[in-house]
Amino acid sequence: MHYESPVRNPLILGDKSYSDITNDIAKPVESKAPRSWWIAFSIAFVMFLWGVGCILYTIGTGIGVWGLNKTIDWAWDITNFVWWVGIGHAGTLISAVLLLFRQKWRMAINRSAEAMTIFSVIQAGLFPLIHMGRIWMAYWVMPIPNQYGTLWVNFNSPLLWDVFAISTYLTVSTVFWYVGLIPDFAMIRDRAINPIQKHIYKLLSFGWGGKAKHWQRFEEVSLVLAGLATPLVLSVHTIVSMDFATSVIPGWHTTIFPPYFVAGAIFSGFAMVQTLLLIVRKIFKMEDYINIEHIEMMNIVIMVTGSIVGVAYITELFIAWYSGVEYEQYAFLNRATGPYWWAYWAMMSCNVFSPQFMWSKKLRTNLVFTFIISIVVNIGMWFERFVIIVTSLHRDYLPSSWSMFSPTFVDIGIFVGTIGFFFVLFLLYARTFPVIAQAELKTILKSSGENFKKHHDEHGAH
Amino acid sequence: MTENNKYWRGIEDQSNPELSEKLAQNEFSNEISQADFLGNDELAESSTSRRDFLKFMGFSTAAATLAACEAPIVESIPYVVKPDSLTPGIANYYASSFYDGYDFASVLVKTREGRPIKIEPNNDAIFNGATNARVQASVLSLYDGARMHSPMMDGAATSWKEAITKAQSLLTENSVLLTRTVISPALKSAIAKLGLRHVSVDAVSQSNRADVYEALTGVRGLPTVELAKARLVFAVGADFLGDWGGENLNSAYAAARKPGSDMLRHIQAESGLSLSGANADVRIKAKVSEYESVLAHVYNKVANAVGVATVSAPALREDIKLSVEGVANELIAAGSGSLVLNGLNSATAEKLAAKTNELLASEAFNTSRLDFTASGSDTDFAALLEDIKSGDVTSVVTLDTNVLHFSSAMASLAEKVSLVSIADRLDETASKAAVALPMSHYLEAWTDAIPVDGVYAVGQPTISPLFDSKSAVEIVNGLAGGSENAIDLIKASASTTGNAKAWNALLHDGFATTDKMVEMLYEVAPSVDLSDVKVSAPLKGLEFYTYTKAGMGAGSNANNPWTYELPDPVTRLSWDNYVVMSAADAVAYGVEVKAQSNGSMNGNTINITVDGTTLENVPVWIQPGQTQGSIGLAVGFGRTEAGKVGNNVGVNANSLLAPAVSYAEATVVATEVEHGFASVQLAHTMMGRKIVNEINLPTFLSGNAKEWNEKPTFESYKGPLTSFEANLWDDQDHETSHMWNMSIDLNSCTGCGACVVACSLENNVPVVGKDEVRRHRDMHWLRIDRYYSSDMTKEVAEEEGVGAIEKYAKMEVPSESPSVVFQPVMCQHCNHAPCETVCPVGATVHSREGLNHMAYNRCIGTRYCANNCPYKVRRFNWFNYQVNDKFTDVNPSQDDYGRMVLNPDVTVRARGVIEKCSLCIQRIQLGKLEAKKDGRQLTDGEFTTACAQACGSGAIVFGDVNNPKSEVSHLKQEERAYHLLEEVGTQPSIFYQTKVRNRA
Repeated sequence: MHYESPVRNPLILGDKSYSDITNDIAKPVESKAPRSWWIAFSIAFVMFLWGVGCILYTIGTGIGVWGLNKTIDWAWDITNFVWWVGIGHAGTLISAVLLLFRQKWRMAINRSAEAMTIFSVIQAGLFPLIHMGRIWMAYWVMPIPNQYGTLWVNFNSPLLWDVFAISTYLTVSTVFWYVGLIPDFAMIRDRAINPIQKHIYKLLSFGWGGKAKHWQRFEEVSLVLAGLATPLVLSVHTIVSMDFATSVIPGWHTTIFPPYFVAGAIFSGFAMVQTLLLIVRKIFKMEDYINIEHIEMMNIVIMVTGSIVGVAYITELFIAWYSGVEYEQYAFLNRATGPYWWAYWAMMSCNVFSPQFMWSKKLRTNLVFTFIISIVVNIGMWFERFVIIVTSLHRDYLPSSWSMFSPTFVDIGIFVGTIGFFFVLFLLYARTFPVIAQAELKTILKSSGENFKKHHDEHGAH
Repeated sequence: MTENNKYWRGIEDQSNPELSEKLAQNEFSNEISQADFLGNDELAESSTSRRDFLKFMGFSTAAATLAACEAPIVESIPYVVKPDSLTPGIANYYASSFYDGYDFASVLVKTREGRPIKIEPNNDAIFNGATNARVQASVLSLYDGARMHSPMMDGAATSWKEAITKAQSLLTENSVLLTRTVISPALKSAIAKLGLRHVSVDAVSQSNRADVYEALTGVRGLPTVELAKARLVFAVGADFLGDWGGENLNSAYAAARKPGSDMLRHIQAESGLSLSGANADVRIKAKVSEYESVLAHVYNKVANAVGVATVSAPALREDIKLSVEGVANELIAAGSGSLVLNGLNSATAEKLAAKTNELLASEAFNTSRLDFTASGSDTDFAALLEDIKSGDVTSVVTLDTNVLHFSSAMASLAEKVSLVSIADRLDETASKAAVALPMSHYLEAWTDAIPVDGVYAVGQPTISPLFDSKSAVEIVNGLAGGSENAIDLIKASASTTGNAKAWNALLHDGFATTDKMVEMLYEVAPSVDLSDVKVSAPLKGLEFYTYTKAGMGAGSNANNPWTYELPDPVTRLSWDNYVVMSAADAVAYGVEVKAQSNGSMNGNTINITVDGTTLENVPVWIQPGQTQGSIGLAVGFGRTEAGKVGNNVGVNANSLLAPAVSYAEATVVATEVEHGFASVQLAHTMMGRKIVNEINLPTFLSGNAKEWNEKPTFESYKGPLTSFEANLWDDQDHETSHMWNMSIDLNSCTGCGACVVACSLENNVPVVGKDEVRRHRDMHWLRIDRYYSSDMTKEVAEEEGVGAIEKYAKMEVPSESPSVVFQPVMCQHCNHAPCETVCPVGATVHSREGLNHMAYNRCIGTRYCANNCPYKVRRFNWFNYQVNDKFTDVNPSQDDYGRMVLNPDVTVRARGVIEKCSLCIQRIQLGKLEAKKDGRQLTDGEFTTACAQACGSGAIVFGDVNNPKSEVSHLKQEERAYHLLEEVGTQPSIFYQTKVRNRA
């Protein structure tokens, strides 16, 4: 049994036994959906359908139904893409990196964080597809042997790297997530009364028997996948940032982008996890498992990454000035003072200023405040990508081609649709999957459970 | 002795020769008996009987046959006997002449498989061999389905015989033939045969100017100009690069403006910013009503110097007085090298200009070689209107003049006369006519012309008439009772015009020199008499004037989408007609133009009242360089019967001001109505960047090119390197083969827009219409950027200690009296192309010949290339322009007729792919193939791009820099040469030549 110092706060509150944990976590799967779930699901589903309609309209008519023009050839599409990829970062970071660092507090949140990762990467993956003028030729980005002789993909293009990075990330995250789910599916299988349900979970749990050998393999696979996933956390957003960094456009052509994008991604990912978990713990009454300790830890990560992002913003400005390159200087001056100043300052205040409140322990342990900040951060991170993409493109080298961008209802509809799609997936997940990795959580019950800690304090260790 | 060796085919051959022999004889050894073969028991048990099988078989065969029959039927008829002159895939060229009452040009018509698809300049022509934007666009008007398909009588189609009979019945002795200027001798003799009173009136009038020369020489016409002999040209309201005379002066201007100690200096005094004003070295802002007094003051100064009588003239405004005096001094100093041009349709102004030229003994001003292309008479027309009013004239035959559109006086009298209209469509005039006779487009008609004294030109049909129309000359001759064909009439005319060439040679060349029609060679130039000159006083209030646009001209292309899609060279607005107003006036009248969130521009509208007539809701464009107190509106717009493209675009300026009147006092009231502009350019200044490198002549003459044409360098361990030396790439071999480069001389480019239209024609560039242009989605492969100077510069900011934020904000604001530069920008064919590296599928790749290729078939439309293009020249197909309903009215490729204009050598791009300038790869390939067939080297200038070909001023030169004898390789060595955004390191194949202004 792992020993934990009494100075550490308990991670599981209340007088919990192993069976309590099982009951609590299986409850949403086994009980009928509450009314609030149906309301949320209906709203999300309508948004999703609206998005599907807008996507079909785009594919049927042409990209011209968006607000793009000859100067600004990417706007909301790629903004949304980068935003969703960024959100998809926290899951793997929590489950893989924190696993390697043996951070026990991740156990209560990693399942949902990973689910969020996968669902948001699905949203992200939509945009590179639908932004293509000829989506029916999308498979050409794959290096598929063909009858055209020497015709091949262009390995110089960061868009091609994107294809590999995103698909690898999605694959590894999904496998990692699924492996973690196996013992929990088995738990539900064992408890299921409805034969159909039992059969489904039987299939899903891959014949898990809870033998020592199974546990050993489980641990090993988790560790190997964590090792594989960790570099991906860095690589995915690094490569996404290279879509911009390898270009010649002032405001894009910046070597700071890879670390800056990764920090920003973790920042926004944690904010999104925060948003979702604050809702989940409330609705499914899991306050004992996802408690203030977890929230505070995540707020600290948000604060640190937010500050890193802030440093990056300021570094960009400094380098633009220091470089002496006229176009760079103007690009950054224009960001802050040009026609899109509001987007820039929305980004600055949401991403750099708002996380600084988290220095105060009182604020970072306040649930309502945390919830507001988590939303604000994600708005800010959306603006960051908008600022990078649109304000860099709208005034580049030749003033004759300067332009402005305004979204059409289709642009907005597709974005809203992906939010709907994301929540459709997440809500379905919350009703059918164990939202907390209970098998893992049980391993720390006797070291980090409140009652056991108390017991230790009262009776001394051992 | 040979041995008869035995070779075995296999081991069996040796071991058992008998068997192998037997097997060889019997190829199908295991014969199956028929009974065995058919005796398959399972077959008998099958539920499908033999009859069923036959049924199925029969059905499938029939179905397959029927399905095959449903393949789309392509209506094409192969040649039974192929004409000798025509090979499918090979273009034929015919010389012809364009004249629409406004522009004259000697052209070559490119036809493919019998269809005219492109107008090209006739470089051998002695008069107007160049093509402007309107002439380039004219080929599309041929394929305009809105043209009349047959003669019309009372709104119904009829036959020629009936229509002519009916028309003849309407004609009386008092009938009048009303035409635009007629320069065709054949048409003139047909008119003479008809015997009616002939009145000609022009939609853009030069009548009062022509009156001066008629009085002077006895011949009605306008003077011609030899810019080569001038060292200083002072133009007052004369947009001689645009619409001033019939003569195309672009090439002469460019030649005279070649930087050097003898470079032509150009001073322009004008109200609105015209092409000429934009190109001038010095521009004086004068109201139209001040033109006369400006000319008078210059004249008086010159007269004083020469010692002849002056004229009395009202005082000049204080702020232009000094500059006008300065001009006069310069003119005196330049002596016979000076030239004064007047653009005002006023006898007084013209006399003053002519007299000033006379006093200065200007060698460039030629009154003995008159231009006849605008010789209509407003006096005759006014008399006609009086006669109609009094009832003396009861029937009018109009010939190719849309008089009811440009003359509101005539329109109000239209009820009093019966009209016979010879027109190409049921326009505002022909739709009111009792009989409307369809006139062929010039590409399907026989024409001839004497555009200028001593030049005879013919126009030949290049296609059978698409509709039941006839050449104008044949119609008039028919009305006069004649029955000759057009060709015979033109032949007869050619034989009597005294031209030096035989008929076939004449057709081949398209023109000939001829004896002067009227002897006008004077020993001494006739002297202009100023005794009756009265200089009118400038208007105190707001003046309103009309002008012409580069695309629209006088309006004969009013249903031609290319005319509208071409942005105005100065305002950069397309698909619109609007009032140009100075910023100060805009503040005074409370109007604004504002950028919208999507980059489009919206502005206020005004009601303009002139002489009791009000034109409502006219949009206002705030124009830098516009003279305060003067507002202008272009003519030719506001059509209601032009066709689906041109109807209801803009307002009709002539409803306020007849063509005969140059300006009038107006009152203006701002309205609540907002107007959306289609502006292709949102920012108007260069923001202190070296985009157009511009210097003044003394700097150029100082010879220190390293300073005024500094190449950007990068610090390195090898010392400073240029962007061509600092290289991280494995370069392609650009030395052994061709290396196509293009030089664009910014000093020669006048911004006229001919190249833009030529490029659209050659490359099937889609027309996208106002709404899409408004969203900055114009598809032009070649655009002409226009920049104004700003009062705020980096130097001023440093001097005044202005901070960066304020500096850049002020730099965005154009000066009120800006210097204007034009810069044609197309794909720069970068040898280190940013677009090529980022395409995930390799759809855009580089050639060894220095070209950046675009493989439409491979493009999946990520648009990353367009984002990463520093020049923003890549265009994305946002919609399927060939089928999308939004473009039905504007895109010629959605029309069965319009589609015929498409160049078969260039793919029409599908939705979702990027397109861009290919440097006319189809022409390069054709040229290379021709040379290969002949087994010879390519020679310089054998072929060129559409833009370079259309450029009248020779600003664009295309060629192979690996050929040391090529013009472009010499130009590349010029000290004025530079690459656009060289510091980005793109190593473009296109380079520019520094603009030099002749001022201190």
